[in-house]
Amino acid sequence: MRQPSVIARRVAAASVSLVVAAGAAACGPKDSGAKGSGGDSTPHKGGTLTVLNSEPQTDFDPARLYTSGGGNVPSLVFRTLTTRNRANGAAGAKVVPDLATDTGRPNKDATVWTYTLKKGLKYEDGTPITSADIKYGIERSFAPELSGGAPYLRDWLTGAANYQGPYKDKKGLSAIETPDERTIVFHLNKPEGEFPFLATQTQFAPVPKAKDTGTKYEEHPVSSGPYQVVKNENDGEHVLLKRNPNWSAATDDQRKAYPDTIDVRSGLDSSVIDQRLSASQGADAAAVTTDTNLGPAELAKVTGDKELAARVGTGHFGYTNYIAFNPTVKPFDNPKVREAIAYAVDRSSVVNAAGGSALAEPATTFLPNQKSFGYTPYDPFPAGASGNPAKAKELLAQAGYPNGLTVTLTHSNAKDFATSPEIATALQDALKKAGITVKLQGLEDNDYRDTVHSVKTEPGFFLAGWGADWPSGGPFLAPIFDGRQIVKDGANFNASRLNDKSVNDEIDSINKLTDLDAAAKRWGALDRKIGGKALVVPLFHPVYKRLVGQDIRNVVISDWTGVLDISQVAVK
Amino acid sequence: MTESPLATPAAGTDASVPAAPGARRFWRRLRAQRAALVAAAVVALLVLVALAAPLLTALEGQDPFTYHPSLIDSARGGVPVGSLGGIGAEHWLGVEPQTGRDLFARLVYGARVSLGVALAATVIQVAIGVAVGVAAALGNQWVDQLLSRITDIIVAMPLMIMSLALLAVVPASFPRPVLVTLVIGLIAWGSIAKIVRAQTLSMKGLDYVSAARLSGWKTWRIARRELLPGLAAPVITYAALLVPMNISVEAALSFLGVGVKPPTPSWGQMLTAADVWYQAAPQYLLLPAGALFVTVLALTVFGDGVRTALDPRAASRLRIGTGRKDKDAATATAAAGATATDADATKKEATA
Repeated sequence: MRQPSVIARRVAAASVSLVVAAGAAACGPKDSGAKGSGGDSTPHKGGTLTVLNSEPQTDFDPARLYTSGGGNVPSLVFRTLTTRNRANGAAGAKVVPDLATDTGRPNKDATVWTYTLKKGLKYEDGTPITSADIKYGIERSFAPELSGGAPYLRDWLTGAANYQGPYKDKKGLSAIETPDERTIVFHLNKPEGEFPFLATQTQFAPVPKAKDTGTKYEEHPVSSGPYQVVKNENDGEHVLLKRNPNWSAATDDQRKAYPDTIDVRSGLDSSVIDQRLSASQGADAAAVTTDTNLGPAELAKVTGDKELAARVGTGHFGYTNYIAFNPTVKPFDNPKVREAIAYAVDRSSVVNAAGGSALAEPATTFLPNQKSFGYTPYDPFPAGASGNPAKAKELLAQAGYPNGLTVTLTHSNAKDFATSPEIATALQDALKKAGITVKLQGLEDNDYRDTVHSVKTEPGFFLAGWGADWPSGGPFLAPIFDGRQIVKDGANFNASRLNDKSVNDEIDSINKLTDLDAAAKRWGALDRKIGGKALVVPLFHPVYKRLVGQDIRNVVISDWTGVLDISQVAVK
Repeated sequence: MTESPLATPAAGTDASVPAAPGARRFWRRLRAQRAALVAAAVVALLVLVALAAPLLTALEGQDPFTYHPSLIDSARGGVPVGSLGGIGAEHWLGVEPQTGRDLFARLVYGARVSLGVALAATVIQVAIGVAVGVAAALGNQWVDQLLSRITDIIVAMPLMIMSLALLAVVPASFPRPVLVTLVIGLIAWGSIAKIVRAQTLSMKGLDYVSAARLSGWKTWRIARRELLPGLAAPVITYAALLVPMNISVEAALSFLGVGVKPPTPSWGQMLTAADVWYQAAPQYLLLPAGALFVTVLALTVFGDGVRTALDPRAASRLRIGTGRKDKDAATATAAAGATATDADATKKEATA
């Protein structure tokens, strides 16, 4: 959670690309049951699937990958204790067993989690997968030379805070027990009802100790999934995957693995990817992307062409773009000023600036509009579709600004239609109607991130976005509103500096729940409670449109990733 | 490079620089070039449009800032509703995708930024260039060495990179158009300073300047009364060529996101927003690109015409001004011509 924005961005980028093929009009409910976009689209085995990406598969080592739900390409090679459900829409936001027989058996207070491996699990070389290999895989991720994964394991496992990995510390982690070849037990230092979500990450993939080559393992990691790595050039720029003969569909009900070969080509410009997919020439006809989505202009072009429009899928990834306030900066210390801005916001023009109604949905809740997060609809400052400047003026007058006020809005200059000048200008226009003069401060993207995520330089009023490591209210709300997660030195995401004991206690209390549905309800209630404080103004939830090649079948896009799942795609 | 013309002082050492007949001949020669005249008319029109932007948009009944959500198709990425980007009686050049802001209004207001920044920056460049050039030429050895080395450094500095760096560090509260003007004006005066220094040095040795000095005139008075009139020709020539260059730089800076801030419209900024729309809404890209192209082309052709009109060799090719055998004037333009060529050479170096 220490670097959630990085993760969130990566995941968001990934989700963007996967959205392609869910069906033309792409309404989630209508897709239920139907798997492909074409009419006669029974998927068949065989063929080569090309993946055209902008970001390479760097550090292709299960210890080093930072993924949500095990990633897309990585998940073809690395099976984990649990995984995300490979299904369209909301069903895809569930955790399901992968190597394990269930999603984990907790003790009473969710501090001990026990898993049993399925029978007959094998690596690509035919040797059996044991619980000790999973333990070893997790231990490797603590080695300094194999850094890159999420910090949860170090934070959660008992006595793991200073563990340096199996190369330096031969005794291993005592927090993980393997009483027999098929059983593994995790001891946590605090209750974590969402442990099954964590067990989807690639650190929970088995690594055979005998085959571990340290930092060189990423060149040929031993596969437990349906594909094995044949080629990995330029640190993941070109990855060629072929079928793993020892993978058995009998032990894996999630990955369909239709193509015989998967050819991942990265380092491409996103506009080139979309252009190649729309042209669908040669091998590109059987191509998809997992990290590129359609921008507003591309969408306008694609929707004008029936053939292309039929090849566009829609994905939702739990993400919220919002206005962040820093209440230590005047005049944002005054709740009435923040509320006035919340009323003045014109969400329809913001949505248009973000790419229109097909690429963004107006947001009034901080939690994404998905059930798994605990989404509870509410609108503490009902401004209507296009803002309520009269109410905003009234609040400003109460706050002591009867003649309006001038504020500076910080945004990035990235062309991302999220924290970019388009959104800032739309807000500037809306706030003007309420007597608020907005000056814009646009920062170069890296500078923007450093500035807004440091407690020392954080501006009073800026554009922000947030996504979580897995689709649940916990990782979504805690880094932003848990007072104990205010980071003084380093990347801080609690921009509003909220440190409210009742909020902190509620977060701890919900983390103890192992009934995820019950937890979701309480996350929703907590979101509503925090929303009334006007510490953020939710603007929109992005929607991702993705194009696929014309031969692609069986497009599945889950709400967990918002991208098409390569393990489900067929090219014949 | 700039030293070579100095080594051989301009022909006609007994020449003086009569301003009035030179100006008349200049206009006659400029008028003779049809391309330059058309270009001048286009430039005049653009300046007029920029000045009358509020009037023109009032005539249209629009302004560059108002959002028109009903004129765009939100479900299709915000593409303008209607044919040709929503062109019609109410929106003469259609509307901007995603916002519905009026493109005609944004284009004419953008002209104010482009032309205003470019002209103001040119004035700064000329002022600094002339001051530094004359001071270097008339000052003692130390002053000359110091100013010439500073000029060398300024010439050697990559304009775009320096501008990017400067614009990135200045706080956002500083008025942006002024800042862009200052940055361009303060960075790109080097070549004009070199030309002015060279021309001043060559004139310094002329008899009429020596005479003025011998009669006890102060340096400042000599510079003002005897040297500046002689500098007019090369400076005007070079300034006319600086304007289009400055327009391009402003557009490039705005394109890169460090120029004028939204919502103030500028052509460069419109280009950066429009570049992804070239397929879905081509007019959005073509309008600022076309405006920029026409402006830079017109100013360049005009600047070239000015140079030709001030260049005696080009003038003889044009067979203009040969009817009257005006000895004084002919020698005067010879001096100007030498520096004009020099200016041209330096410009090529600067842009290389």
